This record gives sequence, structure tokens and C-alpha cells, in this order.
Amino acid sequence: MFDSDGWRMIKKFIACFFMVSVLVFSLVHTCFAIGQVDAEEMLNKAENDLASAYASVKEADFVGANVLELLNKLEFAGDLLAEANNAYRIGDYEKAFSLALNCSDTVDNVVQEALTLKSETEEAQGQKLLFTAGVSSACLSVLFVLSLFGWRFLKKAYLKRVLEMKPEVGSEPK
Amino acid sequence: MSFDDFKLIYVLACLGLGLIILSPTLAMVIKLPGGEQFSEFWVLGPGHMAEDYPFNIAEDQAYKVYLGIANHMGGLQYYRVYVKFRNQTEPLPDSVNGTPSALDPVFEYRLFLRDGEVWEKEVSFSFDGISFEGNSCRVSSLVLDGYVLNVDKLVLWDEENSGFYCQLFFELWIYDGTVSGFQFHNRFVGFWLNMTIPS
Repeated sequence: MFDSDGWRMIKKFIACFFMVSVLVFSLVHTCFAIGQVDAEEMLNKAENDLASAYASVKEADFVGANVLELLNKLEFAGDLLAEANNAYRIGDYEKAFSLALNCSDTVDNVVQEALTLKSETEEAQGQKLLFTAGVSSACLSVLFVLSLFGWRFLKKAYLKRVLEMKPEVGSEPK
Repeated sequence: MSFDDFKLIYVLACLGLGLIILSPTLAMVIKLPGGEQFSEFWVLGPGHMAEDYPFNIAEDQAYKVYLGIANHMGGLQYYRVYVKFRNQTEPLPDSVNGTPSALDPVFEYRLFLRDGEVWEKEVSFSFDGISFEGNSCRVSSLVLDGYVLNVDKLVLWDEENSGFYCQLFFELWIYDGTVSGFQFHNRFVGFWLNMTIPS
């Protein structure tokens, strides 16, 4: 099928292909290796993401929202960021980068979820306040009316008792 | 009892009843001021007591202490604990001015605590590469929670107390939203360690 020149060409091509492949595979790792700067940038991003998430969860917690699930996410992300910083300190930038990235991913939707929880809680509390204030007002009105009637009744009873206590004037003895 | 006294008692009783009826609404609107805001920070020995702290240290031997924080700040807080290692000449945090030690942290923990919550962690550590030469001792690494941390600390012989003393201490930092960063919370705990020469 091929003559000797053809075979030689194919062999050269395979050899070149092999060498280029080896070169590419050996350089890919170097090209995409995580350096100190990349790790530092990712750590800063994770730090900011976690701080924003914390601020929104704190606000939601302050208004009384149930933030347990979000708090679990924060705790997990906090552990990841601490580990990322510890890895960075010992010079393991790749691990630091990956942990910091994981931390950012963990708190990705926390801000939005916390804001939703906060607004839902505030709305529910507003309705509860409205209901409680309504019931209190109704009760106060009833109390006002009853107290007026009660006062009339008690006043009459009091005066009756006083009148009954009034000494009778007897006729002078002759 | 005069009529006026009777009238006064009746009005007061009605007002009291009115206040009782209003109290659920008032409780939802009025926010009473909380108590004193503070954080507790402690370190306990291996028996969970404030005693028997690791002291005489030998190379490659594991030690443990318990580190704890309690939040009484009135809301959710974000804490960071820095682990630092120093010899006798290096600075501690300044409690009077509220400034942290100038030393770089070798390790850190981060945690979130709601008001009234407590966090406690078993901290396991050991030392690697302790070498002695004359009146000095060099500590190469601190192994903490599985991380081999390069501390490379030179510790000089303390003639007065007869030992090579260094200190492992923990600083408490708290996240301050107003400055968008951590601030030293003016709390630190630690214990002295005496590097011993293997017999």
C-alpha cells in the first residue's frame, strides 16, 4: 500500500505527533498551575462573599427569621475559608484556591435566600402585629363600654349602700 | 372609703386592665435594651478543666487542649481565632490598647455563633524538629490539626526559670460590619510550654 518513503513519512509524523503531545501535556500543567497570586485573589473573593453572606444572614436573624439552614452553610463555608487560609500559609496554593472556590460556591445564593427570608418574616410579623393590634383595639373598646356600664352600676350600688347607712331622724320625746 | 377614693380605684383598675390587653401589641413594638454585650473565650486542659495544661514538651508527642467561645453579643457574630506561637522576647497582644500581637498567625479557625451559643474545639498539637545547641533551642514545626506549620522559632535558655520557654496563644477577632473587616476583640488565651531535652 505504501512504499518505503511513505512508511518513513508516516513514522516521522507519528514521532513528531508523540513529541508534540508529550510537550503539550507537560506544559499544560505548568500553564494552568495555580500560583500565589491566583490563590490570593480567590481567597479575597471568598472572604468578601462570606462577609456579604454573613451580613445578610445577620439581618435576617435580627428580624427573627429561621436562619438555621443558612447558618449551616455559613459554618461550612467558614471552615472551608479557614482551611484555605491555612493551606495558603503553608504554601499549598492549589488547595487554597480550590477550598476558597468551594467556599464562594457554598455561599453563592445565601444573600438572596437571606433577603427572601427576611422580607417574608417582616411581612408575617407585620400581619401578626396588625392582627394583634386589631384584637387589642377591639378588646379595649369592649373594656371602655363595659367600664362605663360597670361604673353606672357600681355608682348606684355605692349610693344605695350609703343611703341605707343614713341614720333615721327619730321624733322628739314628749 | 370616700366616693372619690372609690372612683380612683375603679379608674386605675380599668387602666391596668387596658394595659394588660395592650401588652401583646406593646411587646411586639417596644424593643427593650439588652444586657451587657461580651464574648467569652477560654482554653482548658485535656481533662476539660483549667488545670494540667501541656507544659513539658517532647518532640513528636501529641498534646491537646480545649478552646471555647461563647457569644453574648446579642446577635449572630462572625469570629476568627488566630493561633500564634512566640518565644519569650516576642510580643503578646496589648490588652490596655486593645491591639493584637504583631506576630503572624500560624493557623486560624472561623466560626459563626448566634446569641447565647457556645463553640468548643479540641485542639491537638505536637512539635517536630526540636533541636538544642548550647543555650538555645530551635523549634522547626508545629503540627496542628494535621497541618505541619513551619514556625522556625529560636528559644533561649531562661536561667531564672530553668527552661526553654515559648508560648502558644490564641487571639479572638470579631467581624465588624461597619469597617467591613475583622477587628481584634481584645481577648486572648494561651499557655507556656517548656521545650525539653530528650533523655
